[in-house]
Amino acid sequence: MKNKNSKKTKLIVCLILGLIFPARLLSMTGERPVKYDLKVELLPETHTLQASETIVWTNLTQDYVPDIQLHLYWNAFKNELSTVARESRMEKLFKRYRVKKDEWGWIKITSMTTADGQDLMPAASFISPDEPPNPFDQTVLRVVLPQPVAPGQSVTLNLEFQAKVPRNGLRAGYYQDGFFISQWFPKPGVYEEGKGWNCHQYHLNSEFFADFADFQVKITVPEKFVVGACGEEVGKTVDSKTGKATYTYVQQNIHDFAWTASPRFIKVERLFKADEEVTAEEYRQVADLLGLSLEEIKLPDVRMILLIEKQHRNQIERHFKALKAALKYYGLWFGPYPYRTITMVDPPFRTGSGGMEYPTLFTAGTSVILEKDVLSPEGVIIHEFGHGYWYGMVANNEFEEAWLDEGINTYSTGKTVAAAYGPGKLPLRLNGLPLSWFIKLPAVYDWQTDRLFSSTVAKLDPIVTLSWKFYNSGSYALNVYQRASTCLYTLERLLGQKTMAKIMRTFQMRYRFQHPKTEDFIKVVNEVSGKDLTWFFQEFFFNTKDFDYAISSVETTEKPDKFEGIFDDQPVKNSNHQKPEPKKKKQKIYETTITLRRYGEARIGPKEKLKLKVEFEDGSVEWREWDGQSRWVRFTFEKPSRVKTAVLDPDCIWLVDTNFSNNSYSASGPGHKILAFQSNLLWLMQNLLLTLSCLL
Amino acid sequence: MRTAYFINSGIRQGFSRFRLVIYLWLIILPFALLAIVPITSIVRNNLGHFYLSQPPFMPFELHLVEVFMANQNIFQPYFSLVLTVIFLFGLLSIFLNAGVFGQMVGLEKKITFKDFLADGCHHFWQFFLTFISSLPFFVLIFLVYRLLALPLNLWIDNAITEWPVILGSNLKLLLAILFWTVFKLLFDLVRIIIVSESKKVIPALGTALSFLKNHFFKLWWLYLITAFIFIIISLLFLLVGRLFTTNNAAGVLVIIILGQVYIFFRIFTRLVFIGLETSYYFEYRGVQ
Repeated sequence: MKNKNSKKTKLIVCLILGLIFPARLLSMTGERPVKYDLKVELLPETHTLQASETIVWTNLTQDYVPDIQLHLYWNAFKNELSTVARESRMEKLFKRYRVKKDEWGWIKITSMTTADGQDLMPAASFISPDEPPNPFDQTVLRVVLPQPVAPGQSVTLNLEFQAKVPRNGLRAGYYQDGFFISQWFPKPGVYEEGKGWNCHQYHLNSEFFADFADFQVKITVPEKFVVGACGEEVGKTVDSKTGKATYTYVQQNIHDFAWTASPRFIKVERLFKADEEVTAEEYRQVADLLGLSLEEIKLPDVRMILLIEKQHRNQIERHFKALKAALKYYGLWFGPYPYRTITMVDPPFRTGSGGMEYPTLFTAGTSVILEKDVLSPEGVIIHEFGHGYWYGMVANNEFEEAWLDEGINTYSTGKTVAAAYGPGKLPLRLNGLPLSWFIKLPAVYDWQTDRLFSSTVAKLDPIVTLSWKFYNSGSYALNVYQRASTCLYTLERLLGQKTMAKIMRTFQMRYRFQHPKTEDFIKVVNEVSGKDLTWFFQEFFFNTKDFDYAISSVETTEKPDKFEGIFDDQPVKNSNHQKPEPKKKKQKIYETTITLRRYGEARIGPKEKLKLKVEFEDGSVEWREWDGQSRWVRFTFEKPSRVKTAVLDPDCIWLVDTNFSNNSYSASGPGHKILAFQSNLLWLMQNLLLTLSCLL
Repeated sequence: MRTAYFINSGIRQGFSRFRLVIYLWLIILPFALLAIVPITSIVRNNLGHFYLSQPPFMPFELHLVEVFMANQNIFQPYFSLVLTVIFLFGLLSIFLNAGVFGQMVGLEKKITFKDFLADGCHHFWQFFLTFISSLPFFVLIFLVYRLLALPLNLWIDNAITEWPVILGSNLKLLLAILFWTVFKLLFDLVRIIIVSESKKVIPALGTALSFLKNHFFKLWWLYLITAFIFIIISLLFLLVGRLFTTNNAAGVLVIIILGQVYIFFRIFTRLVFIGLETSYYFEYRGVQ
């Protein structure tokens, strides 16, 4: 009877919750392939972790799986022969990771058994699945199972492991008594039906890929430490004898688990109250935009937790304001946030862990001196929160197609920042001091800087490239973040905001808690837009083609009254006997020829047209269209006045154009703007020479 | 100490030899123009007929960046050109310094370009040797700076907040500037002695070191207070410059004029430094 009542109560609660938060309920159901039960103790004096782990892996495919492959990411920081260390040595300009003696990090499994106690250690060996092979890399461990796991069956692994926290391990690290712990536990790769394990070794230019799982994690730290972690804190016990505290965190349906501990944190909690943050008018506008009902876009309340360093305590409000903006716009545009908490971490000083995303937790990063008009830390807060959507829920493979989260999220960040704050001043600092105190810097939108910087790598690598196969870190970053984002902005301008909003919403909600690929995104684009835009992705995502259309020349000549020569249709007259015609003022006619050129290899789509807008001095306007397939085209105009301006792509649809400066012509030019630049440059050079003169 | 007296004296000497400011400005200008020509040509070629819509598609500054990115291949040869210009101007600077010190230290008389050039020629070789002899001192002062910066580096390395990093790195910068002023002060004095007492470099260096043994802190104080005034006025220039916009021709004109006034001010300040150092040296050279 008691059970029946309990079930009935649960059913009613589910139904009520289902009515209130249908998306949340729907998304949290379903079977996950992995369950983790982790117990970890941080030993701050030795910078080590002592842990035990139970992994229950369920085979949700139709394959018989003979082995299991585990990521042991911290072995990337074990020695100079790891793949990360080797790849970092290849970097010429900016080294994101430097190998330093006495700062190694590693992870060592000390025991591994099945549920029935069978020792798996003899069946374990390190492998390096990616090209080029690296036999010294120890970031992927293959364990041959006693018997293959049949479809629908599970295998349980009980592990004991120790780990040394790397001093600055790309995204995990410690400094003095501040710790940021990520990618720290043995984690299975993703088993793909018919293909086997997708379990890449740790690369310099790559983030991660894992299956959705349910986590329960117990974290033991010295009592003075403030702890933050993925998921919800459901318990805390303090052992007064040892002076240690144990925190218990649980979370369903996430694919990673990170945590942090430092005595220098301040922990602040707030509630994102959707009804206070979003007005009825805003709901209505978004419902119109997406073609959804108000119920479908209704946002839930979310508990926001901030762990901020004491040195940044004056920035608490600024952090929460940005997080609220992110919860609001991502929620409205892409779908309601499905988890109950979000933890925002101002990472412990010098742990190298800022600006990184984990499910239900992210790290931002700020400075003690902030400028009002520079949108930092806002940009990074919104971006890293946004990864909860792109990578957290729509969990693409970051090793293989990083653009799917980084590019889409850079695009989403730009839109959110623009909606919440408008343009932000460029950040420029000297020795930690903002130069904007003395120099006037322009305010810019993210898409403007994105398109600018991405132009440098258009010819280097395709956006869709394996993360470790990019030319260098710069090409990786600019391609998967800025260039991909610029392409999406172009797509938005091509299809219109409404269609693009529907595409993004559809992609998010359809692939939430799944692992979509680039072709899935293309399918959604084609389906929602009703157009075949495969060419767009071929041209801009799978190729290294420069896109640069230009007004090559504008030439205007006065059309002569008469032309010299012999013309058959006119009688030959003796000019000596001809009476001079009375002079009358004839209207001058100008013949203008505008040549357009395609400098780049990339072309617009077969059904697209490039527009040319020509304005004449008499105020008249002419429009022309070009299919953009040939290398050049020439348009001629006969008008009673000269050309005042000519603009190719006047609506600025093709943001992927790597050089907008050659897209327009103005008879008068930008005038004093160039003069101002020249005078500033001259002034700088004079000062440089004067300084030199003082040195000698 | 008569701080105001010496600063006034420096300013007075600067004004009385203001023609030097014009000469130097006129000489520096073509070098600066030469060094910027490739960049301005590229900007003119690419944006000379650029249509800046209203409101603009993106800030004009970003269009400039776009042009530079599209013309990245010119930067390597361009930097070679700038280095050549800097090298040539470096050599010329020794000559110009010789002319300036010759005119500043000599008796007050009407400044002529011919005399300025004559002094440049007359003292060039000694000034060149002064530059060469200053190099070991530069290395020495650099090493002392590194030594004194060690505690700051330790402070920065062991910081648990960002504040020591910002404060420490700026204190290091300040320390470097202070050391630079010491170096500068010493070799300005050497040049004054070379011109005023027709000594060769090493004896002049000895005299300068001997003079500074008793007068270092007083003279350094004068130097620093003048430098401080210069920095304050420079910051004011920057702040005033921020008030004007480049969106209209009048604003651009004001910015151009303001910029050149600042260049005049910088050259003039150099004369003030030399003037006050000369006055001080002449006042106390008999008093050891």
